[in-house]
Amino acid sequence: MQLIAKLGILADAAKYDASCASSGAPKRSSRGRDGLGATNGMGICHSYTPDGRCVSLLKVLLTNFCLYDCQYCVNRRSSNVPRARFTPEEVVRLTLDFYRRNCISGLFLSSGIIRSADYTMEQLVQVARLLREEHNFRGYIHLKTIPDADPLLIEEAGRLADRLSVNIELPTEEGLQRLAPEKQVRTIRLAMGTIHRGQQAVAGEARAPRFTPAGQSTQMIVGADATDDRTILRNAESLYQGFALKRVYYSAFSPIPDSPSSVPLAAPPLLREHRLYQADFLMRGYGYTAGELLTESSNLALDIDPKLAWALANREVFPLDLNRAEPALLARIPGIGLRSVQRLVALRRERRIRYDDLVQLRCVLDKARPFIVTSDYRPPQGEVRSSLLRARLREPQAPVQMGLWG
Amino acid sequence: MIALDCDDQFATWREQARVLLGHGIDPAEVTWTQGPMDDLLAVPAPLPAGPGPFRARVPAVLLAQLEQAARYCGEQRWSLLYEVLWRVAHGDRTAMLAGDRLGSELQRRIKQVSREAHHLHAFLRFVPLPAPLAEQLQLDLVAFHEPAHDILESASGHFAERLGRQRWLIATSRDGIRYDGQTLDYRHTCPEQWRQWAQHADDPGAELWRTYYRHTFNPARLNPDALRQHMPGRFWRHLPEGELIPRLVGLARQGKQRDGQAQEVRAQGGKRINKGPQQGRGH
Repeated sequence: MQLIAKLGILADAAKYDASCASSGAPKRSSRGRDGLGATNGMGICHSYTPDGRCVSLLKVLLTNFCLYDCQYCVNRRSSNVPRARFTPEEVVRLTLDFYRRNCISGLFLSSGIIRSADYTMEQLVQVARLLREEHNFRGYIHLKTIPDADPLLIEEAGRLADRLSVNIELPTEEGLQRLAPEKQVRTIRLAMGTIHRGQQAVAGEARAPRFTPAGQSTQMIVGADATDDRTILRNAESLYQGFALKRVYYSAFSPIPDSPSSVPLAAPPLLREHRLYQADFLMRGYGYTAGELLTESSNLALDIDPKLAWALANREVFPLDLNRAEPALLARIPGIGLRSVQRLVALRRERRIRYDDLVQLRCVLDKARPFIVTSDYRPPQGEVRSSLLRARLREPQAPVQMGLWG
Repeated sequence: MIALDCDDQFATWREQARVLLGHGIDPAEVTWTQGPMDDLLAVPAPLPAGPGPFRARVPAVLLAQLEQAARYCGEQRWSLLYEVLWRVAHGDRTAMLAGDRLGSELQRRIKQVSREAHHLHAFLRFVPLPAPLAEQLQLDLVAFHEPAHDILESASGHFAERLGRQRWLIATSRDGIRYDGQTLDYRHTCPEQWRQWAQHADDPGAELWRTYYRHTFNPARLNPDALRQHMPGRFWRHLPEGELIPRLVGLARQGKQRDGQAQEVRAQGGKRINKGPQQGRGH
């Protein structure tokens, strides 16, 4: 089979993994040296496809032959899809060619399970080794980790790659048993633990060889089963705490061709996925806990963002005086982001904050107005009830993707 | 009214601004021309002689910010900078801060400039030259790019980091830069020949990338607005994948968003795998 034909099949097979980040790698440069590739911590999105997602890495499977029969996966063994397999050299060639063209910043390689978990993992490691050692490639490498593979192989992968990821796949153990009978939460968590220990072993040792310097991540499929957002976010929170994950990716389940009846054949729940990412960002960047974000209902509201939802449920905290409140509290005001908080704090060292300053900072005033006090503004007294505010601030709902669905 | 021309060079503007500040000349009294004289009412008065009596001290961070904002191409490119400098030099540091009306504009320009540098790093595409031509021109890769702001010189070092000893050239409609594997050669005006090489390079290998792009797209998640927001339309025509975008959007809209698979893959014969110890080893 021609390389271009394999590329078509194996890119198509890999697109359901959401992650394409190339950020967080240490500073590396090829200036004046043999080889190719640099990283500086910042990710680069080299293109965007019409689904609005960033293309940062060459994201392919080494092969989509697979012995497993995960119901949500287009490459499960019972799926009637065309199959192909790259040689490690072919992946290397594509990576270097696309990199030279400035189409990508690196490689994200995953694979179907062939022969055994160890054999598959060895093949993935082989590609990374060729890139790093034969071709002096200093760009970004993300390897998918096969959970049941030998920890020694995972450790070797961790020394070559910037990031490793083990997919948790489904938010609950029951879900995994039902939809991915060959996978086990236990071995997935063991693999995460292996990676985490590898990171801890070199932490704080400047001279130690690097181990997954861009951290480990995972992906949870949302909407393939009936799990609620509270379970999903609690699970994510425990992964952040237990394994110091850099990112949990939420992937709205996309219907797959030749779909088994065990998974939905419905449009992916993109808005729900978006709200989960917002909530996740609030947990990682703003210090919210999963429990705080989901008190009343077990699912995040779709019509308002989770930060606004929290503010509406906690009116006693507000209004906050922008000239006095702690920065961490300012960050909880809807419509005011972390960057604006920094800028407000810088500005209030010079002088008093006025309402117009928020206009200049391009804060979302419709959202912020009921929750703030400035030197020349306070919300009109007789505070508006939360239910009324919510009705006023809810986002227009996109029409449900129907019509084309017979 | 003093009318000045700094040839869109920060170093020149900086010298002019230093003299103006030294003589206490108010921002309302000075203008910078951009290209042909654009202020008909300005009766050109010369720059005063000598450094002037006023000794202004401004924070070093301001100079760095002014230099970055100076790369912004737009109205009042240079006079805005002088107004900021004037206010800070006279003790009003809010002129640098995003909350202030003028400071907001300064910060907005800085942001636009750094965004445009990021666009260069992201959306520039090199075309590899075939070996005989590479030997003849002493160039491995060429690219044509159209940045909206003057960021080529300051932002191109990035490619020397990425590409090791590769020799490359980037041409724009204004300036150009060339790297011979060791040093950067920046030209304020791009040599016509560079532009020719960059714009007329044959690229049979681009089909591989276009194939990847088509297949990594998930039509079930169609969201062309997000694409447009992150990758403005002005870049599409220099991207090999640019011409695919409208067609892929169209296909997905015509009801192909039932699932994520590309049509070309669906058209091929599938293969179910029987589970067994020696099975599933494809070639």
